[in-house]
Amino acid sequence: MSGPLTLAVESSCDETGIALVEGGRRIHANVVASQTALHAATGGIVPEVAARAHIRWIVPVLDEALADAGAKVADVDAVAVTYGPGLAGSLLVGINFAKTLAWVHDRPLVGVNHLEGHLYAAWLLDPGEAERHEPPFPLVALIVSGGHTFLVEMTDHLTYRLLGETVDDAAGEAFDKVGRLLGLSYPGGPAIQRAAEGATRHDAAFPRAWLGDSYDFSFSGLKTAARRTVEAARAAEGLAPDDPDARLSEAATAELAWGFQDSVVDVLASKTIRAARELGARSIVLGGGVAANAALRARLAGEADALGVPLVVPRPGLCTDNGAMIGAAGARRFAAGDLATLDLDARPSLPLARRTAEAAAARSGR
Amino acid sequence: MTGEAGSGDGRRRWLLAIDTATSEVVVAAGSLEGDLLGATLIRAGHRHGEVLLPAIGRLQGEVNLRRSRIEGIVVGTGPGAFTGLRVGIATAKALAHALGRPIVGVSTGEALLEAARGLGGAGDVVLLLPAGPSDRVVVRAGAPPSLLPGGSEPELAESDVVVALDLEGRAPDAAVERAELVRRELAAALVRIGAARLAAGRADDLARLVPEYVTLPRGVRAPSGEVAWSRGPR
Ligand SMILES: [Zn+2]
Repeated sequence: MSGPLTLAVESSCDETGIALVEGGRRIHANVVASQTALHAATGGIVPEVAARAHIRWIVPVLDEALADAGAKVADVDAVAVTYGPGLAGSLLVGINFAKTLAWVHDRPLVGVNHLEGHLYAAWLLDPGEAERHEPPFPLVALIVSGGHTFLVEMTDHLTYRLLGETVDDAAGEAFDKVGRLLGLSYPGGPAIQRAAEGATRHDAAFPRAWLGDSYDFSFSGLKTAARRTVEAARAAEGLAPDDPDARLSEAATAELAWGFQDSVVDVLASKTIRAARELGARSIVLGGGVAANAALRARLAGEADALGVPLVVPRPGLCTDNGAMIGAAGARRFAAGDLATLDLDARPSLPLARRTAEAAAARSGR
Repeated sequence: MTGEAGSGDGRRRWLLAIDTATSEVVVAAGSLEGDLLGATLIRAGHRHGEVLLPAIGRLQGEVNLRRSRIEGIVVGTGPGAFTGLRVGIATAKALAHALGRPIVGVSTGEALLEAARGLGGAGDVVLLLPAGPSDRVVVRAGAPPSLLPGGSEPELAESDVVVALDLEGRAPDAAVERAELVRRELAAALVRIGAARLAAGRADDLARLVPEYVTLPRGVRAPSGEVAWSRGPR
């Protein structure tokens, strides 16, 4: 054994996750009850449905996690829980469950920022996986999912500088919406990737929102362009504009899926690589559900390699929301003595870090 | 508000009851026979999550009873505001799990009707509770709670006595004032019903216990409990 055992609870969105993580890295158990099936019918997350599922599934998830780890709650050294950002009704379930476990078992409670959890997924080791070096600092991390899209610099543990974030939709949201336009299944990310892999022509040109020199992202213009392009393609095939039963041909769907994905990947990868170069990063971390996208991984891997900087991408199950990533971040907070009190409450819009300019202004006392 | 402080001798076995369905957090200690040993009522507004666990800790100190001697958890399941109910039920589930003790979900509506017994005289008590900013819920003895959409009024008999909780300005003043009397008896009613249920061996399934929902979420036609499981490789 090396290092304290953390019990971690994640319930910020639509996955109920509970994990046991040793020393902030080694996973002993990581159980996730995912509600994707519950939300597929509505084509997106319904907050009230998500909250109801958390309260229903949290005890079975805890029992599975404890059984997997062969541990009791009394064996853990700290209890970590996501307290924001996320859906208020969902966060509440995990927070109150976790802090009560900590109180009854007299264990320290640690509040974790969900976004910080996505970053720390890069430190996780599966049971039995060989030891591997921690990602060296400074690092640049790109976190992309249905809920978040941001680029951050870490100069040390728990030290974040937000470089840029989406000014409108999250990248994963854009995948969902364009997937729906193309008549593909929910969630849109995997469906668009599969469709794009079938493209034989790569001529579909979608706009890129570079937003000047900034590291910010924007996907709403791309979404609008995608709608126009899909409408034009449907008209070209003689299909009624909104007849869901009249499907665009497979070839056209594939080419449009490819064009849309290429635009998203181009912007995400270009900005990440530019940040890594400008800041002299010693590693690049990719996380969030969209990190499972093969085109994004391949593009970043190639460019990181050309730059001579290692790219760290957790396996897909650790990129999507899960308890283990909260355990990894929570263990660092626990080690730093950053403990929460029993009045810990949900912070639905908790920020990860302020931007440089804002942080500098705050330091100078403005 | 606290009952007989220091009523415990440290070895006494007791029940912990909580309710977060209303704007007031209720935490109570009761005997296994259903007598109230002490209670705390806190105006929580929407801050149930901040106040509940610290309030449990304080009450436990005041009644001088040991956490390890809790024999069961009683929790109000609503109907009521979802935010509060989630806080209360998540807390109650963790308490029951951590202590290895049974959990009993008691309808807050049923407990409030029990608390209002004696108010009605010859008539029946009709309970009104808020459901979001404009709707209300009607609770009567022996019937499931029903939704009263904004703008509509409940059908009342001449002798019915209306009790309107957390409905200032949205129900007759007399009904709102009556509710303040009923509120003070909620802790005792929860303990009484919960103790009887436990004594009869009618505890709830810890995993399946959920709030009493009167409506389905907006845009959702049928409830579905299925989720997909994934576990990290061992
Ligand atoms: Zn996330």
